[in-house]
Amino acid sequence: MTGTTGTVDRYAAKRPWGHFAALVIIAVLVAGSFWAADWDFTALTDSVKRARALERALELVVSFSHPDFSAKWASRCWELTLETLSAAVFATFMAIIFAYLLAMGASRAVCVGEESPRGWLRSFPLRSPRAALCSLCRLILDVLRSVPDFAWAVILVAVLGLGPVTGAVALGLNVTGILGKLYSEFWDNINEKEYEQIRSLGAGRLKTFLYGIRPLASRSVQSFTLMRAECAIRNAAVIGAVGGGGLGAEIMYQIGMGKWDKITTLMIFTLGLTLSADLASNFIRRQLRNDPNHPRAVRTRSTAMSVARGYIGVGFGLCIVMWAVWFMGWGNSAGPKGKAKNYLEPLANLASGEELSRFEFFEDLLSPDFDMVVWGGQDIYAIRANPFPDPDAPLGMFMITKETEGIRMFEHYGVLDVFDGDAWTAWEKELSKWFVWRVIKSAAVPVSMAIIGTLLGVIGAMLLTYPHSVAFQLESQQFTGETPHPVIRALRFVQMVLARGIGLVSRGVPEVMWAFLFIAFFGPGLLAGAIAIALHSLGVLVRVFSETVDNVPYRNFEQGFRGSRMTCFAYTAGPMSWRDWMTYSFFQFESNVRMGIVLGIVGVGGLGFFFTFNFEWFRFEKASTYLLVMVAITVVIDRISRGLKLSRIKS
Amino acid sequence: MTRILVLMIALAGIFSLAACGGGNNATGGGNGGNGGGNTAAGGDGSGDDGSGDDGTSAGPEKLIITAIPDDNADKLKENYGKVAKYLESKIGIPVEYMHVENYAAAVTALANGKAHLSWMGGVTTVQADQQTKGQAEVVCCRDIDKKFHTYFIANVDSGIGEVKNLKDLAEAAKGKSFTFGSKGSTSGHLMPRHFFTTQSGSKPEDVFSNVAYSGSHDKTLAQVADGSFAVGALNFATYDKSSDELKAKAPIIYTTPNYVDYSWVAHKDLGADLIGKIRTAFLEMDKSDEGKAILGFFKAGSFVKADLKEWDGIKAVMEAGVDIGG
Repeated sequence: MTGTTGTVDRYAAKRPWGHFAALVIIAVLVAGSFWAADWDFTALTDSVKRARALERALELVVSFSHPDFSAKWASRCWELTLETLSAAVFATFMAIIFAYLLAMGASRAVCVGEESPRGWLRSFPLRSPRAALCSLCRLILDVLRSVPDFAWAVILVAVLGLGPVTGAVALGLNVTGILGKLYSEFWDNINEKEYEQIRSLGAGRLKTFLYGIRPLASRSVQSFTLMRAECAIRNAAVIGAVGGGGLGAEIMYQIGMGKWDKITTLMIFTLGLTLSADLASNFIRRQLRNDPNHPRAVRTRSTAMSVARGYIGVGFGLCIVMWAVWFMGWGNSAGPKGKAKNYLEPLANLASGEELSRFEFFEDLLSPDFDMVVWGGQDIYAIRANPFPDPDAPLGMFMITKETEGIRMFEHYGVLDVFDGDAWTAWEKELSKWFVWRVIKSAAVPVSMAIIGTLLGVIGAMLLTYPHSVAFQLESQQFTGETPHPVIRALRFVQMVLARGIGLVSRGVPEVMWAFLFIAFFGPGLLAGAIAIALHSLGVLVRVFSETVDNVPYRNFEQGFRGSRMTCFAYTAGPMSWRDWMTYSFFQFESNVRMGIVLGIVGVGGLGFFFTFNFEWFRFEKASTYLLVMVAITVVIDRISRGLKLSRIKS
Repeated sequence: MTRILVLMIALAGIFSLAACGGGNNATGGGNGGNGGGNTAAGGDGSGDDGSGDDGTSAGPEKLIITAIPDDNADKLKENYGKVAKYLESKIGIPVEYMHVENYAAAVTALANGKAHLSWMGGVTTVQADQQTKGQAEVVCCRDIDKKFHTYFIANVDSGIGEVKNLKDLAEAAKGKSFTFGSKGSTSGHLMPRHFFTTQSGSKPEDVFSNVAYSGSHDKTLAQVADGSFAVGALNFATYDKSSDELKAKAPIIYTTPNYVDYSWVAHKDLGADLIGKIRTAFLEMDKSDEGKAILGFFKAGSFVKADLKEWDGIKAVMEAGVDIGG
């Protein structure tokens, strides 16, 4: 090895090909998502449809000037808002308890602890009973997390009936999965050396957890729990669309009827709810933040006050939880004749085991249909007499159905025809006879919707970050050295307020509600879904994007400033925050895929739609196959994100 | 400087938009008041108490009735409230209506004891029989149910005229959009699909550019009339009593042969006695004024006796499979 090659190699290793690879991958994904799913752009290209969509959108915008605030309607909205809030809080509370317990099982550091096996044995799930328990808990969390709350609601409505408690349990199951995974990751990511001393003092696994691991991760656990609670409130506002109570059912109904003034009122209440949830969680966060060095920490002089802060924060949270339980059980007078209705009763019955027998109804969900018969290559036809005979029609007297259509993969094209395009089409056609392949294909809809939606959302968020950021709009003189005219400062302020308003509205309104609106404008389809996802992602991302920009110390901009705030943003702030931006974007993508499935359930099509269809036709074994694919998608994306080492948890 | 100009223009644009909104306020004000009537949609009566499900042989303390949601929720709540009141006066135990959000939920409610008596469509009647494992009993059906049929309608601007059979429709409407009603509906989905496939020899998904499920018959009509979909299928009863304006925008292009559809289905747990009483109450509905008002809502002259066997045709069609491509 000579010195030159070494240098060249080192430069070659540093060559930034990764970005180009990323661009190519994104381009391929975009092309793939347009190719794999049926996009219908006629709502944009066809003038009649476009005019209709515009007309409806305009109706909505106009109706914002006269929302229906009649006493009767407003009080109904208020009741529904309370119902939504109580369901969300109840769900989060239950989820925290169960997630904590499951996460203790799923965390390797907590459940398995120190072990002797080395090499491949270390990742073999059955190496010890503890390890088996750990894997089991992880599996449970994976399933809970990857089946969206809407799908849980579709299943649970049959057992618990309609109402907020169904929505709460459905949300709770999904949130349990998400929180459990996060908690266990937080605990696993803590460096063993940090709690070594507790172990060395002879503490067992439980004590090591309680006195070592738990306190070290408590801040992340707390902040992500609050973040999830906010999400739960947003989802609770729409889960009524599939029978979960709260605002959702009403929103869907009124959009169907085109009563824009009522929809506006509902949207205002939803926004109010999500924004106050934002404020409340910030309040709790501030009270519980015990790091005196944090720039935004509350500093109190007296010891009594600083001790009290923790109690205030926890007390506030507990009060809300207690109110939610009371409201669900005894306080909700939205029932018939203004009588308080106990929504907790079905849940209590469930706990008593009496209603558990009703789950027998879903036995078939445990035996998914893999349709292996088709691989036999035989066509099986069934001919039945048509009960509604029609002598004129070609098949009028009989109903001929293909019970099984055998797959003959290489009948027309051999394995060697791989370079022939027609061969691939023919193979795909053969493969489509297999039910499982059709299920997998239907996943193209949520995934391509998520790809396009996330991409649009990310681009939009990057552009909006500039007017959204405090650093570049209000405090730019700190690094530009200019002294802007008061009018210009006022304009920048207005610009920022507008940008923040856009961000606030687009993240405050849940994706599903956006989807309802765009379905009303464009008709059901991927276009409506992708735009809804893009809009919501824009709102969520612009907040975190501009937070990362605002957290960059101004002296870093000072050096990069070349006379224009815009170029400074593009060439200094952007690259500095790029890594964080990409991490957030990827997680947004992950949750957007789940949202794609949910949008399918509410009418966009694809995986979610077929799942509900088969469920409603009592073909549980088929519905179960769709559920399995939902789990598979989440697990695959999870592994990819681990492979890319994009972790939310900074070590 | 240019940036400030652009900003000013943008701001001016926003203000002018706001002004537009303000201007329309005066004209749109009437709209605000219109919808005040149906404020109670969605919520009341939804869910259930789970209190009556211990009735095995002695019969329940409270009879819970439900219905497939084939019309808008307010109308259903109002009218089934009346049915509940009528039944209460005839059979002597409290009757409550429980609203459900989709067709499958009505079947499940009957199967797992959350409801005792349910107004079912053809498919749901058969499903109720299957899901209760033979514990479902048809109480009665309407006179019109024995000769029920579906209309195919097309938007007046779509250029699709009346057709002789559905094979012609498949040719005329190839590549256009199509909507069924609810996924679990007989007259809004299963039967039109059956007639379409047997007559044309191909699946709707292969013929139309987009096959959607509007959710209910009234929505199908509304969406075909406003041009969201070119063609749709809905039951004749909903179509016949709707406004002339809608009918003009979405004329009938084909009428299917007759089949049997809706029925009142009870769970056998109620006991033969109680089911008998309920049946008598329905059969003599056309004798009282109160009953006649209810029959008006059901678009029927009277309720007539029926037997589960009459639904065997629907059952056969269901067994032949509903292939929606997934």
